[in-house]
Amino acid sequence: MREKLSNLYAKDGTKAVLSSLISIVIGLVVGSIIILLVGMGNPSLGLSSAWDGIRLVFGGLFSTGRSAAGTLTFGFNPTNIGNMLFRATPLILTGLSVAVAFKTGLFNIGAPGQYLMSTAATLYVALTIPSESVPTVLIWILAFLSGMLAGALWGAIPGLVKAYLNINEVLACIMTNWIAANLVTWFFDGSALCNTAEFGKTGYVYKTSYNGVETFKMGLDKLFPGSQVNGGIVIAIVMAVLVYILMSKTTLGYELKACGANRHAARYAGIADRRNIVLSMAIAGSLAGAAAALYYLSGNTEFFWSTYQSLPATGFNGIPVALLAVNNPIAVIFTGCFMSILDISGLQLTNLTAYNEYITDVIIATIVYLSAFSLVIRMLLSGRKKHKAAAKTSSAVETKPAPGPSDGADEKGGEEA
Amino acid sequence: MGADNVIEMLHITKEFPGIIANDDITLQLRRGEIHALLGENGAGKSTLMSVLFGLYQPEAGVIKKNGQEVKINSPNDATALGIGMVHQHFQLIDVFTVLDNIILGAETTKMGFLQKKAAREKVQALSERYGMKVDLDAKVEDITVGMQQRVEILKMLYRDNEILIFDEPTAVLTPQEIDELMDTMREFAKEGKSILFISHKLNEIMSVADRVTVLRKGKYIGTVETKDTDKQSLSNMMVGRPVQLEVVKAPAQPKETVLHVEGLTIASRGHHKRNAVDGVSFDVRAGEIVCVAGIDGNGQTELIYGLTGLEKTKSGTVTLCGQDISHASIRQRSRYLSHIPEDRHKHGLILDFTLEQNMVLQRYREPQFQHMGFIKDGAVRTYAKKLIEQYDVRSGQGPITIARSMSGGNQQKAIIAREIDRALPLIVAVQPTRGLDVGAIEYIHKQLVAERDKGKAVLLVSLELDEVMSLADRILVMYEGEIVGELDPKTTTVQELGLYMAGAKRTAKEGETA
Repeated sequence: MREKLSNLYAKDGTKAVLSSLISIVIGLVVGSIIILLVGMGNPSLGLSSAWDGIRLVFGGLFSTGRSAAGTLTFGFNPTNIGNMLFRATPLILTGLSVAVAFKTGLFNIGAPGQYLMSTAATLYVALTIPSESVPTVLIWILAFLSGMLAGALWGAIPGLVKAYLNINEVLACIMTNWIAANLVTWFFDGSALCNTAEFGKTGYVYKTSYNGVETFKMGLDKLFPGSQVNGGIVIAIVMAVLVYILMSKTTLGYELKACGANRHAARYAGIADRRNIVLSMAIAGSLAGAAAALYYLSGNTEFFWSTYQSLPATGFNGIPVALLAVNNPIAVIFTGCFMSILDISGLQLTNLTAYNEYITDVIIATIVYLSAFSLVIRMLLSGRKKHKAAAKTSSAVETKPAPGPSDGADEKGGEEA
Repeated sequence: MGADNVIEMLHITKEFPGIIANDDITLQLRRGEIHALLGENGAGKSTLMSVLFGLYQPEAGVIKKNGQEVKINSPNDATALGIGMVHQHFQLIDVFTVLDNIILGAETTKMGFLQKKAAREKVQALSERYGMKVDLDAKVEDITVGMQQRVEILKMLYRDNEILIFDEPTAVLTPQEIDELMDTMREFAKEGKSILFISHKLNEIMSVADRVTVLRKGKYIGTVETKDTDKQSLSNMMVGRPVQLEVVKAPAQPKETVLHVEGLTIASRGHHKRNAVDGVSFDVRAGEIVCVAGIDGNGQTELIYGLTGLEKTKSGTVTLCGQDISHASIRQRSRYLSHIPEDRHKHGLILDFTLEQNMVLQRYREPQFQHMGFIKDGAVRTYAKKLIEQYDVRSGQGPITIARSMSGGNQQKAIIAREIDRALPLIVAVQPTRGLDVGAIEYIHKQLVAERDKGKAVLLVSLELDEVMSLADRILVMYEGEIVGELDPKTTTVQELGLYMAGAKRTAKEGETA
């Protein structure tokens, strides 16, 4: 049993998961400390509010409000869970977008731009095809695909610039982000899609449900009554699995990863390195595009089109989701859910205490910061293992074939200098 | 065991997961001696030196300097003790100039500003004194490996180190450069500097070292005086079995032409006016080994890039197996040619991939390894296992070892296994034995000869005269981008070859049209 545990511990994957979990725990603890400090420093909050706040940070998902006596109650809350899944959908997809790019050696910081372009394409298609003459299912599919396509095209631009002009994709991504923001604003400014039906609304585009187009619920609304959840989460999970298969099982994935890991060797092997750079950015873009499409096709979300001053946070939040998942597409499902749990916790904080939801931003920031340190944490984990092994060296027999310098000890000496 | 030992490493043991890299090794370096450390790849030489240089902490054993026990926890400690090291893989910053690289970490500053002038003078003085020519203002990425090494040596001298570690310094040098390096090393020793010289080239050890310590598979085998031993017994000590030092091969029986190159011209990178390869024409026939000899940087690299498609050609034609491939893609060419590249880290391997993934670097698209775009993991694993077994590629975890963690020699063996096993009509091998030990060299030479005997055409680029002379059926000498002579190894001498390589002599043949 012990043997098994220690073998499990020696695995790279275990260490990756552990280091991410440690980042998360430290992030939550830091968040709690801040809640405590804010609570102590504010007479209207005090210690008991701080305690409430901390409990909500850890257990916001299972919060069921306050009892008559005014104490927090916890339990199974289907609405929260449904909303969590709904909010996780775009996060999972932007997380996948960033993870795919990372795996191929690219940093897709352009997810917000791709997300915006997809938003525009999705809404335009969903709202302008007349639902009287075309089945809404077909409109939905067309809108979803055009969203992905728009994202893919927008992602391909930094890819092209990188592949043929050798301009860093981060720069190009940031620029295309703002170009997208302005383009989209300009596009809706002049369009007939602005919501004029609901009185008092300015700056919003119609919900897609205005044209009868919304994502099918797949019975999830029965499972989680009162929430916004829909079939989007299922699509997101399926896409995560598809991305996993693409990256680790196919020749295309092999090529993409080869280009990312060593462009020269890929070229040597006859792989079209430029094409693959463009392709991986396009795939990343299409995933960010899918995020926007699923979010706005839900039918209960509306788009505030004046985006020229700010970029959608969902795009950027893909970065921590991917980092925390160590770029593993399957793990992205869970880290995407985790990020949206924090969202829910933030909501509960504002609803049930005098705190505001920005505390959760602090937690996210801490986690992102720490996930950048995940390598250090992993090293610490390996160090601990070594220590333990050294302590019982008398029993000899080294059974762990842990990765690391084998007879390549030679090689490593040079690299660490 | 007297006071003349400047460095003593006593009973050093260093373990890595799954392997004991150094097992109770003792090494004593006397003042003013050149002490060679001999062993196969993975014998633990570099690990031992990394321990001395503070990169690794040993699990057991002590290090003494001048009889005093010292703790070396980092390269900084080593530098403070006057220990300098030229690594096998250079530790230079590509985008910095030579001068910046030399002074990096030991900059003289005044009020926070660099005092480059003084540094420049010191470096210039050193480089003149030891006859080591470097272009101080060139960026490292633009200079040859030979010059990069001189930069590394100057780095040590600049820091006034008195104990110099050379980790396989000659692996990348031309014969003349090797001679110069040997002279420089003798010069250093005469001045009282102590030199640890890691190598597995017996010629060099016999000619320059005073004593040799032999390691094998992490264990200490013995220390001998070079004057009391010979190459054969040293290599037997190192490998643990009698080794054949000479290449044995029957006369070549060349058949049809496989590769035909006509007037190939390739522009040089950078701002040089002359072409890197200038109007080169030659043939390689099935069943022969044609060797391109020359001093590093005379266009061999570009020639091979041009042939394999890594670089665009300016003019001229390349015909391979009857097809004009002058403008074909790398993938189209790789249907006919195997390429053992010069730089195994840049081109040969994807270091972060596993060994098995690297084994199918060109072949993953073949039906054998994929079905409808899905890679057949099982088939890849089986194939990798087969190659690993057949070519004796050693690694910590077999097929799933990350290539980066393997020793240089085994990385090279993996590449050779992959390329030879593709069984294509032409094998292009660029410095295939660079940095390898006698056992591995013997093996690779045998493989190349065997492929020749199977009717493959072999184009070999080598900087090592011994290799050229023993392996080639025909020698083409390149000088400044041109082929200046075609020699028959049976009728020529090393001296004559050297003259051609230095540009002092050339055969006037049809090349006079220019």
